[in-house]
Amino acid sequence: MNKLLLIIQREYMSLVARKSFIVITILVPFLFIIIASIPVLTSKLNSASSSLETVTVIDETGHLSGVISDNEQFRFIPLRGEPGTTNVKRFFDQSGESMSALVVIPANVLDSAQVNIYSKSTVNMALVDHVTDCLNDTLTSVKLATMGVPDLDKIVREAQVDIDVNSVKLADDGSESESSTTAAMLLGMVLSLITYMFVLTYGAMIMNSVIEEKTNRIVEVIVSSCKPFQLMMGKIIGVALVGLTQFLIWAVIISGLAVGLGIGLADSGPMSEVSSLVGMVQSVNLVGTLVCFVIYFLGGYLLYAALFAGFGSAVDQASDASQFTTPIIIVMIVALYAGLGCMENPNGTFALWCSMIPFTSPIVMMVRLPYDVPFWQIAVSVVALYATATAIIWLSARIYRIGILRYGKKFTLKEILTWIKTQ
Amino acid sequence: MAFIEISDVVKQYKGHTALNHVNLTVPKGCIYGLLGPNGAGKTTLIRIINMITAPDSGTVMLDGSPITADDVAHIGYLPEERGLYKKMKVGDEIVYLARLKGMSKADATRQMLYWLDRFHLTEWRDKKVETLSKGMQQKVQFIATVIHEPKLLIFDEPFSGFDPVNAEQLKREILELQKKGATILFSTHNMESVEEVCDQISLINHSEVVLEGNVAEIKQRFKKHLYEICLAGGEQLQPCEELFTIEEARPEGTTIIRLAQGVAIREVIARLNEQYALRGFSELLPTMHEIFIETVKNSSNNE
Repeated sequence: MNKLLLIIQREYMSLVARKSFIVITILVPFLFIIIASIPVLTSKLNSASSSLETVTVIDETGHLSGVISDNEQFRFIPLRGEPGTTNVKRFFDQSGESMSALVVIPANVLDSAQVNIYSKSTVNMALVDHVTDCLNDTLTSVKLATMGVPDLDKIVREAQVDIDVNSVKLADDGSESESSTTAAMLLGMVLSLITYMFVLTYGAMIMNSVIEEKTNRIVEVIVSSCKPFQLMMGKIIGVALVGLTQFLIWAVIISGLAVGLGIGLADSGPMSEVSSLVGMVQSVNLVGTLVCFVIYFLGGYLLYAALFAGFGSAVDQASDASQFTTPIIIVMIVALYAGLGCMENPNGTFALWCSMIPFTSPIVMMVRLPYDVPFWQIAVSVVALYATATAIIWLSARIYRIGILRYGKKFTLKEILTWIKTQ
Repeated sequence: MAFIEISDVVKQYKGHTALNHVNLTVPKGCIYGLLGPNGAGKTTLIRIINMITAPDSGTVMLDGSPITADDVAHIGYLPEERGLYKKMKVGDEIVYLARLKGMSKADATRQMLYWLDRFHLTEWRDKKVETLSKGMQQKVQFIATVIHEPKLLIFDEPFSGFDPVNAEQLKREILELQKKGATILFSTHNMESVEEVCDQISLINHSEVVLEGNVAEIKQRFKKHLYEICLAGGEQLQPCEELFTIEEARPEGTTIIRLAQGVAIREVIARLNEQYALRGFSELLPTMHEIFIETVKNSSNNE
């Protein structure tokens, strides 16, 4: 037992002290925040820095030129034009640099519903949106007016329906509580993505650590001092602790940055959306979900980590590992897609089976959990997961104890299976 | 008394036999050399003693009872393929390996400092192992092997990769460990070290023990009744058929003779003293190197 602790400690310290670990641990939260705040920043930057652009509007209909109003980005100069005679090139030649774009409203705009915008560079999307917005409203009411029906625009407005769905969860005792489908979905998705990323990243880390010890040849010294099983479990637990440390640091930095930036960007759209999302997440059964998450996360990690360790022991170099990692990764990707599919129908047959099969359940059950899975299903799936994880650890340990001392050739799966039987 | 007793050990790999009914007895407190050409099965035997591989049949007894995993955990083992964690600091690495062998942190640290000083590596304590030269890494590995003062030490090719100066120090350390009471088993190709260090040897060839015993006794067994004679004043030794034949006249003035069967040394010396001014007379025992080559050739031819 003491030796296991010693191995865990060494594994942990050697991984945490690596430069790459420190760099990634510090950089990722900043990258995350930068990516998350790009929409906020760009909109702020645009409104603040862009100078006013002049756009000429040629109105061939004669009555629409004033419809396009100026805003903080564009100033419009309306000009009267004769139908079909506008010479675009002449306008640009005359006005030079002062005019950034030219909008031509053709005489038959009511029928064709087409407007052209000319520009020497690529046409600004904000200009297109603004012109479309202004013309849509006006042209709609003009068109309605030509129908000759009194108060038609009022009738049309009243006829427009925008459904707002409130999902209400009915408990057995008949009491109603509001549930948020969006929040439930999001929470499930985030949790299963965390499991997926954690298992892949740190599973690969275990594999590299096993291969490194093997190529270093230190493994012979170590296994003459302790049991191969202790070495393998020490690695799996040590790497898990490294992962948890990293996640914890990320959580602290990200929430710290989010709070800090949140004050700076107070009342700006995306951040208030985030806070309303947080409110929705709280409406889901958070404690139950998180407890289940921890259970599934651990089981899934142990299962895949043992697979990575067992197969890692059978190869000499990291470059040879792909023949074994590829199937593992394929299974995980299948699990992830199954999870995505389950969002559509979290209580369907497919979802049910995928959340029972141990290789996919840690990911798929995360998606299903917020949708009130029956207790017996969770119980069965957890028992299956841990039973399989134990079996895989046992099998991997048997492969490991032989694999780490075999050098010099690539082993096929068949040969490796015979190791399991070797005494 | 026997400290390690290997009886009738057989190990087969796919297609070949690595060890064929090997018997071997290592007395307590001795330095035991395991000799043999490449691929003879030395490393396999060492791995079986270490329980890294299991024999197909046969037993390994340690101090009178079958060897257990606990025994193995206390053996100091230096594998043929050396390896250390390259990214760890020298001091930390030695302490870690010592603690894996069951030492307390305080003891391990104290001993680590003692051994680093002994091998003149103190200033490297906080350097990463990968920054050390290969020779220095070998020393670090040797320290890690012996630091917990095990009763049994097993070295697989301890001299490979050492320059003559360091090999000399290694020999001294091995003798020192024996004085402290350790039993040492090592495999080697370095015959010089066998002459200087080993009490007993076993020669393995083609998976079988072809020669075993005390080094001095083996030398006697293989002697060819050769003597080296040095005469004063550059005189030439004349043949004397009834007592000896001349094997070789060396340019520096000495002559190698082979005694005829049944002739006592006393008679030869008396005769030589009569005829010549005798300056030197010494028995020429075969070197372990010669015994090794001769035995390996013979045993290979017999098959």
